[in-house]
Amino acid sequence: MPDMENLWPYCLQELEKSLGASQFNIWIKPLAAEASSDVLTIAAPNPVFLDFIRDRYLGIIEQAAAAYCTDTPPQIHLKIGTAKRPPAPKATPAKTAAPAQANAPQPAGENKPAESRFSRGAANHETTRLNPLFTFDTLVTGKANQLARAAAEQVARHPGSGYNPLFVYGGVGLGKTHLIQSIGNFVHQHNPEARIRYIQAEKYIQDVVRAYQHKGFDEFKRYYHSLDVLLVDDIQFFVGKDKTQEEFFYLFNTLVEAGKQIILTSDRIPSDIDGLLERLKSRFSWGLTVAIEPPELEMRVAILLKKADALHFHLDANVAFFIAKSIRSNVRELEGALNRVIAYARFTNQQISIETARDALRDILAAGNRLVSVENIQKTVADYYKIKVADMHSKKRTREIARPRQIAMALTKELTQMSLPAIGDAFGGRDHTTVLHACRTIEEMRQNDQEIGTQYAYLLQMLRG
Amino acid sequence: MKQLVLDLALPAPEPFSDFVAGENAELLFQLNEWCTGTPHARFVYLWGEPGCGKSHLLAAAARRAQARLIDACCEALPEEIEPDTLLAVDNVDSLDRAGQETLFAHFNTLRAGSGGLVSAGLLPPMLLSMLPDLATRLGWGLVYQLRPLSDSDKAAAMQARARQLGFDLSGELADYLLRHAPRGMASLYRLLEHANELALSRQKAVTMNLLREILRGQHATPAA
Repeated sequence: MPDMENLWPYCLQELEKSLGASQFNIWIKPLAAEASSDVLTIAAPNPVFLDFIRDRYLGIIEQAAAAYCTDTPPQIHLKIGTAKRPPAPKATPAKTAAPAQANAPQPAGENKPAESRFSRGAANHETTRLNPLFTFDTLVTGKANQLARAAAEQVARHPGSGYNPLFVYGGVGLGKTHLIQSIGNFVHQHNPEARIRYIQAEKYIQDVVRAYQHKGFDEFKRYYHSLDVLLVDDIQFFVGKDKTQEEFFYLFNTLVEAGKQIILTSDRIPSDIDGLLERLKSRFSWGLTVAIEPPELEMRVAILLKKADALHFHLDANVAFFIAKSIRSNVRELEGALNRVIAYARFTNQQISIETARDALRDILAAGNRLVSVENIQKTVADYYKIKVADMHSKKRTREIARPRQIAMALTKELTQMSLPAIGDAFGGRDHTTVLHACRTIEEMRQNDQEIGTQYAYLLQMLRG
Repeated sequence: MKQLVLDLALPAPEPFSDFVAGENAELLFQLNEWCTGTPHARFVYLWGEPGCGKSHLLAAAARRAQARLIDACCEALPEEIEPDTLLAVDNVDSLDRAGQETLFAHFNTLRAGSGGLVSAGLLPPMLLSMLPDLATRLGWGLVYQLRPLSDSDKAAAMQARARQLGFDLSGELADYLLRHAPRGMASLYRLLEHANELALSRQKAVTMNLLREILRGQHATPAA
């Protein structure tokens, strides 16, 4: 076993080589570290620093540590602080302990000095890259995802011994990430020793590229091959990345053969991912492939109420129904709509009713006010009044033709930024004063003639979509 | 002899101060929130027709927040960003597939970190024909349509701009421009700047005749 005292000095040496002096001096030098038998605890001076280290440098640090400890790569814990020495064994628990870890059972019977000194769950959680808020408890279940959830819970309880890989697919924004991260968090909660890593496909691709650039494939492999649970999100981004696919193929085989769990997501089933190696497609189908469907109305309402609750915002059930009926496509847009309604309530300082929700959602629901061209306006108006599009340009001045033409001109002024002379040109080379006259006439008629008012409003709505 | 006009730039106005809010007051409020890093406004998407002021607002927000501004029409996105970056991306609908994938990755990085993104395009996220993974993420934050100004708001905006440039634009002249020129604000502002320059070079005031002359030779000024 290598001398752990020298682990951090070795990492520093490697980091300085790969990062260069300036990055190293700014970000790595201020870190304090302590190594125990199988844990390297790194202390960053403040939360911003810690976030930055986690996002930018943790991977490189892990690789360097893995290169030093070739047998069993140490776990890396991140914490805030500057002290070189850890607190006494009975120190108060770390404040950063995530809720999911609050009840984590302490592994019994093993002599792990680091465990008693640190909030192992919270610090260890950093290296999983899991969002602690994504748990089975916070996941709203309905018809759309109940099968996927059942499979996920099964995998979470028996990682590596059942469905392997678990392949979750479904359209964008339906909650795939939440579901698979729930598995990761569950496994972590019940077995804090497990080496878990959540990664988005494009980050994995970047890791492969970086390993190539820095000739660090040994470390790269050692790190990924040491995992107990690997969760890769949006695997469809591997398409066209041949080297990544090849590396992943070996990683897949190694982990599955070793009884380690792999969980993947994609926007479609493996066989439909064009550009993916056939051998990967077939392996992805080895375990269980489950779909997540778009949520049904009741589930959408439940999602909104739960989300509003989490944001400490009182959302009336009727308003939740209104939003859920209006946004059907996916959970992400549903949450976007809720964010918008809450922002509106805060801005106007008023309670949200269905009416105010409708106001707040105009920008999303209308999907409206889409860009309209003068040709489109002319065709829509001509179809509506059953005249020819050519009449929009003609010299005819009979009322059956002139009135729709005036309406089309007024709509063009309202829905486009064209200059009045340009509008005149588009209507058979008429003068801008004719356009102005048409706009004024129609404006007056809308006030005084209910029929024209209704027709105009209908056409406006049609054109805005 | 022709008067030479010195190319002296006016001091840039305070961000947002020169924007006529019209129906866009809530949007302006939330953009300010974005600039100050308020958690609920970390991701804001603006959409609206050309010439309604999206680029103007994005530039103002980027300046106030000291954020990095990328116009996707003509610039590439940075390959990597830090998770606490404030990023402003204009014309997202111009991103090609690779650019969309990059912005998708950046969005994930910013969301996992503490950064923020304000972006703008012609259509609401649901109607953008782009990578759905990205479009739905843009729709995750606050989405606002930038509503075009009414004619009277446009006239007020032009008069304010003219005052900034150093001349008075009468109601009659503003009305004339709204009837005869393309009515997008960016093009109206360019027209005023052109009129100002021409008037200075001739040592004359901005008059109806001058505006007519400019519009007749419109090819000299960029179209809306």
